Amino acid sequence: MFSPFSRVPSVSLGFLVPITVLVSSISLLVRLGFRFRFLECICHFRSVLTRRRKLRSNCVAPSVTSRSCFSINYAKREVRILCDKAKEILMEESNVQMAELAAEKHVRYILSVEKRKDNFESVVMEHLRMSGAYWGLTALDLLGKLGSVDVDEVTSWLLSCQHESGGFGGNIGHDPHILYTLSALQVLALFDKMDVIDVDKVTNYIVSLQNEDGSFSGDMWGEVDTRFSYIAICCLSILHRLDKINVEKAVKYIISCKNMDGGFGCTPGGESHAGQIFCCVGALAITGSLDLVDKDLLGWWLCERQVKSGGLNGRPEKLPDVCYSWWVLSSLTMIDRVHWISKEKLIRFILDCQDTENGGISDRPDDAVDVFHTFFGVAGLSLLEYTGVKPIDPAYALPVDVVNRIFFTK
Amino acid sequence: MTFGQVVEEQQSGWERSTDMSEESDSKVEAMDLLRQLEDILESDALIDELGFIHPSQFPLLKEESDISCNLSYEAIHQSEDGVVSPVEPSKQDNIYFWNRDHKLGISTHVLLPLYRAAKDAFFITFKQYRMCDNQSGKGICLPASSCDHLESTLLRHSKSLLLLSCDFMTAWNCRKLIVSKKQQLSMFVDELLLSGLVLSYSPKSEQAWNHRRWVIKSISANCSNFKEILGKESELVEKIAERSKMNYRAWNHRCWLVSYMTIDQVLSELRKSRSWAALHVADNCCFHYRRRLLLRIMEGQSCLEDTVSCGHNVNIVQALKDELDWNETLIKRYVGREALWLHRRFLSTCWINNFVPDSGDESYHSKEAIGLYHDFGTFLQNELCLLDSCSTFVDDDFVDVQAQAAHSASYILWLKVQVPKTLVNQLQEKIRDADLKTLLNKSCPERSSLFNYFMN
Repeated sequence: MFSPFSRVPSVSLGFLVPITVLVSSISLLVRLGFRFRFLECICHFRSVLTRRRKLRSNCVAPSVTSRSCFSINYAKREVRILCDKAKEILMEESNVQMAELAAEKHVRYILSVEKRKDNFESVVMEHLRMSGAYWGLTALDLLGKLGSVDVDEVTSWLLSCQHESGGFGGNIGHDPHILYTLSALQVLALFDKMDVIDVDKVTNYIVSLQNEDGSFSGDMWGEVDTRFSYIAICCLSILHRLDKINVEKAVKYIISCKNMDGGFGCTPGGESHAGQIFCCVGALAITGSLDLVDKDLLGWWLCERQVKSGGLNGRPEKLPDVCYSWWVLSSLTMIDRVHWISKEKLIRFILDCQDTENGGISDRPDDAVDVFHTFFGVAGLSLLEYTGVKPIDPAYALPVDVVNRIFFTK
Repeated sequence: MTFGQVVEEQQSGWERSTDMSEESDSKVEAMDLLRQLEDILESDALIDELGFIHPSQFPLLKEESDISCNLSYEAIHQSEDGVVSPVEPSKQDNIYFWNRDHKLGISTHVLLPLYRAAKDAFFITFKQYRMCDNQSGKGICLPASSCDHLESTLLRHSKSLLLLSCDFMTAWNCRKLIVSKKQQLSMFVDELLLSGLVLSYSPKSEQAWNHRRWVIKSISANCSNFKEILGKESELVEKIAERSKMNYRAWNHRCWLVSYMTIDQVLSELRKSRSWAALHVADNCCFHYRRRLLLRIMEGQSCLEDTVSCGHNVNIVQALKDELDWNETLIKRYVGREALWLHRRFLSTCWINNFVPDSGDESYHSKEAIGLYHDFGTFLQNELCLLDSCSTFVDDDFVDVQAQAAHSASYILWLKVQVPKTLVNQLQEKIRDADLKTLLNKSCPERSSLFNYFMN
């Protein structure tokens, strides 16, 4: 589920494309105090026009008057009135036919992703196939369709990604890393196949990555991050081996990454980020140390991630993104502050990000879909108790029945 | 035509060759492409920017470089000693690569076969290298040259692979392995160059940033110009942040550098980042960086408290005060910016924590404390004036004004929550709870459950 913060490498045309000039001139305008939202309003207005052609006559009338006005303030007001009207129309429209989760199409989409190996964009992501497997398979399980996957095929591939050190790589032949070790264990947990691995070997690998100050490195090369603390704690908890590390020190390190806004960063002094917050809160939840979180302060920061459209962003001033429906929402759930955001608006935002024709969910409405956002969209809906989606555990990021099986059988 | 479509179209061309001989032909072709790319990379060690270009752009680029080529050709002829030869024709005719002025363009048409060739070549060589390494570990003497040769080939292939797939962790790791064995400063510096090149087209590449941190940690102990390297790193982040807005990975790297900086460097970074922040008021990352710097100064100050006289203390008070004033100016100039208001929350909290004594403090009644208490009153007065000037909006106003009102009201609520119990009545004297509540609910009705929680 990780590597989320690095996405599909953006294929830019770099220094060669005049668009960079365009972008820089726009940013210059913004810097000069240009009202960017003004453009947004107009775009919004136009999209309504195209969506509801028959209402055109309604909306055009005031804009004619705005042409004759001299005061820019007056024009602004005109646009705002139009915008409100446009929003009303949209709301009406969506109330009439509130989109539903296209579950079957998403299942078909997820199953098709694995077969797509013929373009640069998908091939170039093969180094994190293990995480891809976790995203896709967990989404399938939440939608009740895990049965359509060949378990033996997945487990034998998964085992061939294991390194002699005990850690797992992102794909066959790739170096082991704690990121992919968690994904591998999560996939095995989904299939109830934990018995195919040597638990002590994996445990030793993770234990070897704890540092003197309690933090965890991602692999032998020593990069430290609170994400790795979460992963180590989550893995060992799933393996029933949490006693093998110094939990007290691990918790102390996580707390040292807390900021004055209540959030958490990658390392001490790092900026608060919803993804990192999920990791820190998740780790504290698993180790039973949630009392160390300032729930009010953190809840405040997290609920301010909800923007007007209902979607959540991961940091201040950023655009909303479906994946934060998971990172923010799971954190809010763990600290019991979900009621500080509007659930209905968030559900609507996630549903608006679906590709209702070919399946899959994207980061924002009308963008291209991918398996990463499909999983986080479905997981978000699961936390929002959407009908037809199995409940998910906010700390382990696995279906609740899977977590129950891990801890309550035997 | 989008990038994806181009690749798909080109791909269908590749996949059509089902015939075995054709397949091996295409493999040979791909290997040849890889060789060409690696030759270019070797011939121009100073390439500092990379881009993937659509084939239709090649003629245009060629035209441009022809013009400049002719110009330089004339220039050469005008000067007496025209020893420099114009660019080789073969280089100009290449339809897949474009290399000039230390910029490299790769045709999107060849990305997929090139990537596959680079990956295969990398894994094959890596396997051989590990075998070679194992054997020399066991005491079996191999000619040193064969291992050296494998190392240089591996560096070549991993470089090409990383330019095509920037988060290919195993390739970064293999470079770490080789470089850490050699322990030559020049090789470490080369790694910084490569990661810089990758960041030029993929500024969010997590692995490229990791690699830089690994290099810096490796050389921190024995490097004479370490301070200079830190300064350059900080500049690099700023350069990248200019092109890639609110880049968390980049700014996180800069925050990480702070722990290695001397206090003088911290102070100069604080000075230098100010103008950048003023031009990018929506970029919370830069304001966080300033918070990190301010906290570092305070940390340093509390460590040195016994040895350093109050000269330093005044400095931090002044720094906070300046930051508060500057922030106020920006808030009034750029209406409705969340990042500015969040920065103010931080500054006020610092102000309150550092300069308002706890109730249990014995020195509370001393002269100094009374002065501070008075200062606090002035501070609150100022914050409420700010609220006044920001919170008035009529329904007709623009969205930004509304956002400004919402931010200012939640800011005052924040103050109310942060202020110690002993001083909260000072705030209540100046603004009644009922008024604040009305203001909050009017400016941001969506968050009423949050506001109600904190107001009750």
